[in-house]
This record gives sequence, C-alpha cells and structure tokens, in this order.
Amino acid sequence: MPRTDFIEPLRRRLLELGCPMVQVRRLVQEVADHHEDLKQAALSEGLSEANAEVRANTQLGDPVALAEHLMVMLLRSSWWGRHSLIGFCMLPLLAVPVLWTLFLMLGLSLEFALGFGWDLKKLHAAADNPVAFHHLVLALHGADYAAIALVTLLFCWLARRSGVSFKWMVIACVICSLYSSFVYARIWPHNFALGITSTPQWIRAAIPLLVAGAVYIFQRRTTQRFQEKVAI
Amino acid sequence: MKKTNPSFLNGIPELLVLRLLSRREMYGYQIVEEIRTQTGESLSFGEGCIYPYLHYLEAEKQVSSQRREVEGRNRNYYKLTARGRKRLEELTFEWKRVTTGVSLLMGVQHA
Repeated sequence: MPRTDFIEPLRRRLLELGCPMVQVRRLVQEVADHHEDLKQAALSEGLSEANAEVRANTQLGDPVALAEHLMVMLLRSSWWGRHSLIGFCMLPLLAVPVLWTLFLMLGLSLEFALGFGWDLKKLHAAADNPVAFHHLVLALHGADYAAIALVTLLFCWLARRSGVSFKWMVIACVICSLYSSFVYARIWPHNFALGITSTPQWIRAAIPLLVAGAVYIFQRRTTQRFQEKVAI
Repeated sequence: MKKTNPSFLNGIPELLVLRLLSRREMYGYQIVEEIRTQTGESLSFGEGCIYPYLHYLEAEKQVSSQRREVEGRNRNYYKLTARGRKRLEELTFEWKRVTTGVSLLMGVQHA
C-alpha cells in the first residue's frame, strides 16, 4: 500500500477517533486504491510522477475531514451509534440485572452439569458435606464474578464495535459497577438466593471497572502496535 | 397526514450510487467517474466522500462488497442487494414525486 501525504493522516485521525481497527484497515486500503487510480489517470495524461501524486492528493481532499465524515457515517450506520444515550445509559439500567441473572444461571448450570452430572441427589449430598459445600460456595462466587465480567464485556464490545466514544463505554461500566455492588447471590446448604442489599460489596463493584480498564489498555496497545506495524 | 420529504436532498447520493450499482457492480473510483461523466459533470462526488456512503449502505445491507483482483489490481467491488433494489425503488418514486412538484411550481409542463 503506498504511503502518501494523504493516507497517513487519514489512518492516524481514524485511530484517534476510535474507529474500529477492521474499519481502519479496510478504509485505508480502499482510499489507497482510489489514490492509485487517480495517480494512474494523471500519469496517463502526461503528468510527472510527483505532479500526479500531488494531483491525486488534492482530488481526494482533506484526509482529516474525510476521517471525521467516515466516523459520522459509521455512527449513523448502527443503532448503538445513533442512540448512544439509550444504548449505553438507559438500556444498561434495565438489561444489567437481567443479563447478570441469565449469565449466572448459565454458569451455575454448567458447573452443575460438569460437577454433578445434573444429579440433584449428588448436589444435596455435597451440601451436607462441609468441605464439598465450601467448594459450592467458591463455584457460586466464580460464576457470579464471571457473570458480572461478561455483562460488562458485552457493553464494552458493543461500544467498540459501533465506534462510539470511550465515555459511553465508561458510563455503561459504571452502571454495571453500581448494580454489582448492590445485588448478591448467596448459597446456604440446600438453599440459594439472589437479591438486593443496602451494603455495598466493593469486590463486586470493582470487577466492571477493572474490565473497563483492561479493555482500554488492550485497545491502546492494539492501536499502538497497529501504528508501529504500518509505519515500518 | 401527508408524508414530508426531509430526506430528499440527503438521499441524492444514495439514489445515484444505488442506480449505478443496479446496472453492474463497481468499485469506488468507477462510481465517482460514472457520476461525473453520466451527469455531464454537473454533479461530482468528492473523491474520498464516496466511501463513507458505500460503507453506510453496506452496513444497511443495501449493497454488498467483495475484494477481487481484476487486471492485476485488487479492489473492493460493490453490488446491489435485494434490500438495496427495494430502497432504489422507494427513492426513485420519491425523486419523481418531488421533481413533479417542483416542475409544477416552476410552471414547467412535466413530461
């Protein structure tokens, strides 16, 4: 792919605006192809290599403006981009408890299938054994924390995929964190409950924030690696 | 209530691109060139501006794309989908409705 005065600023601006990497690659590739076509047309008219390059750059316009136009169109093309306030602020208020319950139940079902082969008698026998019951408590905590992380990751993925700004991802993660600090899953021998508590649970509250931080670091590293790779 | 046409002017690039792709599949540079030549250079897309529209139309599933090598050059070729064809019909109908209205107002007998 030719590195021109047009392509590099376009790529840089797209990455700065948080455009998904797949879209950046594809768009830069297409614009580079277009640039080459314009250059070939100019060369066929008898222009020199340097003048053809300059004319192709001029015809393509301002790369920063094009990158910004592309991001606007990208946001307009997805429901999450058009309705960020609903998708990342209002929807999590309703969806987080539902999704958390769903993921938790799926996790517990998986543990029940793998650990006890769907046999309720074995589960009750484990509940009567203090050592086995301790393992059940740990399994519940594991499924609970994994469910919180999965719900948060889902909203992070949606934010990343639709190209919305980082603030919407943070808002969704903060809502996940608030919910996580006040809902609970508890287990007693032969009994299990989900509910809401007035006492904040700080470990659970920290999980969505840690996930958001990890996603942010991952994105930054991936973007940096991509920029280093194309700059070689 | 009678439908208004706020999307009329915004829909022109979409109409032009869909109309061209209804004839054959094309890549971005070809589309820009065709718009320029077929409108007698009275309409022209900014060279880079075609891609936001094409990507938008693809996200809306009105066009699909495929990267292919033709004559030693790799390019993304776009073609119309069934949804795109339906959208083209809607936009063409809307275009005819608006131009008829404008012609009446301007005192020109519409053909």
